[in-house]
Amino acid sequence: MDLHPLAGTLLRKSVLSRELRARVDALDLPDEGHGYDSFGMNREWVAGALIVTRFLYERWFRVESSGIHHLPAEGAAVLASNHSGALPLDALMIWTDIVRKSDPPRVPRVVVDHFVNLLPVLNVLFTRAGAVGGSRANFHETLTGGDLVLVFPEGVPGIGKPFSKRYQLARWREGHAELAIRHGVPVVPIAVIGAEEQMPQLGRIDGIKVFGSPYLPICVPPLPLPVRYHIHYGAPIPLHEQYKPKQATDPDVLQEAAAQVEEAVKGLISKGLALRKGVFR
Amino acid sequence: MKGVLVTGATTPFGRALVQGLLDDDDFGHVLALGADEHPDLPLNDRLSWIRADLTRSRTIRRLLFGPVREHRIEAIVHGAHHRNPADRGHKLHRLNVESTRLMLRLAEQHPTVRHFILRSYADVYRVRPHLADILWEDAPLELGTRAPQILRDRVEADVTACGRLGLSSLRILVLRCAEIYAADMGSQLWDYLHRRFCVRPVGFDPMVNLLSLDDAVQAHLLALKSKARGVVNIPGKDTLPLTRAIRLSGKQQYAMPGWMLGPAYRLRGGGSNASFRYHLNVERFHSTAILGGLRAREVLGYEPSNPLAWPIQQT
Repeated sequence: MDLHPLAGTLLRKSVLSRELRARVDALDLPDEGHGYDSFGMNREWVAGALIVTRFLYERWFRVESSGIHHLPAEGAAVLASNHSGALPLDALMIWTDIVRKSDPPRVPRVVVDHFVNLLPVLNVLFTRAGAVGGSRANFHETLTGGDLVLVFPEGVPGIGKPFSKRYQLARWREGHAELAIRHGVPVVPIAVIGAEEQMPQLGRIDGIKVFGSPYLPICVPPLPLPVRYHIHYGAPIPLHEQYKPKQATDPDVLQEAAAQVEEAVKGLISKGLALRKGVFR
Repeated sequence: MKGVLVTGATTPFGRALVQGLLDDDDFGHVLALGADEHPDLPLNDRLSWIRADLTRSRTIRRLLFGPVREHRIEAIVHGAHHRNPADRGHKLHRLNVESTRLMLRLAEQHPTVRHFILRSYADVYRVRPHLADILWEDAPLELGTRAPQILRDRVEADVTACGRLGLSSLRILVLRCAEIYAADMGSQLWDYLHRRFCVRPVGFDPMVNLLSLDDAVQAHLLALKSKARGVVNIPGKDTLPLTRAIRLSGKQQYAMPGWMLGPAYRLRGGGSNASFRYHLNVERFHSTAILGGLRAREVLGYEPSNPLAWPIQQT
């Protein structure tokens, strides 16, 4: 799975547009000496992931986004988004949108559930593109390294919501607020509109656990519909200015801080739904 | 000037450390201890060689209250551990664990020894898909009862030293070193990457971290000079995917389902003297586990700076 540098360059030059190639070249990626960072992220593979997501981003979901200027140009931040859609394609689209549109170009570290590490091939594709497992040590390393860390505080229950509960947030966990306060970084709220309708989930079979996934969703249709994605980035919430790092252990403070982020995401969802002209438009 | 006792001095790392100590004027007499009859050590007035069997408790007592006291040795670097995972038994346990326990106890009563450094291993950490990719010093240890003896011994020796932290008058440092990638160091990856071809699990390509002999020596010299106590990870400079390590070694690689690799390597290893054991590496062939070097940087001033010169030939 080690992409030969020549193969990577040829692939990149033949498939990616000149503008995207320039963005990939401009990425400031850590390198531990062999072209990879400690987690396994690699420039050629980031370019490869852009190639893979190009069709989904441009043609299938026709992603539109607003407010990307809210992402810090440098330094760490926690990006907190709603999560939905049976398959975590919303993470893929946010990742693609940030790599394609952020200024200067940055690669967000998408925090994935642990069962992703058990999926053959996919685990390699994810880590090469910058995904990290959701452990405390991984969070620490990425935030101290100055990365944008994309989390979904709803976790797996977010993408497991039935269709009747679309655009209602599942339980909003506090971990992201704790990390932001502890590491002194802002939280950027994100709302994804569209993913809720991509694969309406009618039910689920809890007993079947494929590669550690918590359940098997029953979706109609079984493949994502070509809904239009709208991604809205909100203004950064300076939790690190409101609270001191030592308050990161106080459960009441964390609940209060997480509630701020939850409210911001809810506000962005409401705004996004009001602006949307239709599920496919 | 600090006198140092180095156990395991006839391993490639032991020899390099002894040379490093002799080259550094901050250190005084070096007492090198090993099991070999004819050690390949430099001639030097500051160096004494002792052949001793650390599986015998009487030998350890005689050593510490004999030559160690005579040369006014202040620091012990304990790195005498068994390296072949195929071996097992009480004698190995005495070398791997009991020698550490006894040496620590005697050093606490010793008139000159003040500093004890245990060379431990990254293998002591538990590697699982749901655990962190970057391992800090407080990461979970591999305490599984099904682990092979060599691994259980390493964990027990490590915990034995850690158990005395904060209780002992000694300055105890446990250096959990990344895999030292060199011949005769018991490196599993060395053996794996020096076979004719390499077979790995399909669909997985974890990151591995390798430590060069030079960096390992540098970390130990800094540890000997520091006043630090506790546990410190010692990562290497080379962090790369397993597949890239195979390619840099100039080997052909083949992927097959993970569940077939155990039997395949058992068949392949039968009758040969190869030390690579797939069951020892199954987790790290599926999941990334890299030592975090933050504490080493903060307390020792150690930063890995000597990458391996790929491809590394068998010598």
